[in-house]
Amino acid sequence: MAAFEYRQALEIRDTLSRYGVRYLFIGKSGAILLGFPDTTQDADLFVEKTSTNGRALATALVDLGFALTAGEAQDIERGRDFVQLKNGPFDLDLVFAPDGIERFEDAWARRVDVEGFPVCHPDDIIASKVAANRVKDRESLPRLQAFRDYWKARHRA
Amino acid sequence: MLVGVGDLPPREWIEEFEAAARRSLETRFRYAFIHTYKPVLDDAPYRAFDSTSAYRDWCEANLPSWLGYGRV
Repeated sequence: MAAFEYRQALEIRDTLSRYGVRYLFIGKSGAILLGFPDTTQDADLFVEKTSTNGRALATALVDLGFALTAGEAQDIERGRDFVQLKNGPFDLDLVFAPDGIERFEDAWARRVDVEGFPVCHPDDIIASKVAANRVKDRESLPRLQAFRDYWKARHRA
Repeated sequence: MLVGVGDLPPREWIEEFEAAARRSLETRFRYAFIHTYKPVLDDAPYRAFDSTSAYRDWCEANLPSWLGYGRV
């Protein structure tokens, strides 16, 4: 599996938009879209958990080249809380219920648009990492929090 | 690096943020997304969990601790 590329991000953005999927980039991939200089391996999408949205997403993923079985497509339609895809052109995590964020609608209202990419607000990215409380998140949080403060100051100006 | 509440972030971080802000999104992508093999995690093409908590439990039970997916 090669690294996730910019052109693939554009394909996600354009294909999910075409199918009307409601989602947000979250996690470190979201932070990178916001300008956080760091490295990561995959893209994480926070997806609105409705059957209509899940069905649209499953169709869009097949269009993007993911080899979903009927059962896997059903999992996505149902919105199983965490789906990890390594059966497509890039690695993708679908998160229907991220730690630390109560409702998709709230995160959607706070979203940031980055060249057409819908991205979680940095406060939400940090809230999810704090709540997940993983070793790797704890290590990166101080720098991510400093970036959040920098980003807010820059966007106030 | 540990930074306490109320501490100013290291100057080098701010310089990195400013440098990143000057790059195009495409360039930021090229620098940010890498791929290295992660044992166990990369060995199945598909996984799904009924709760994020179940996924975290699975990570703790199955992944090497050095990957950092365990909870603190």
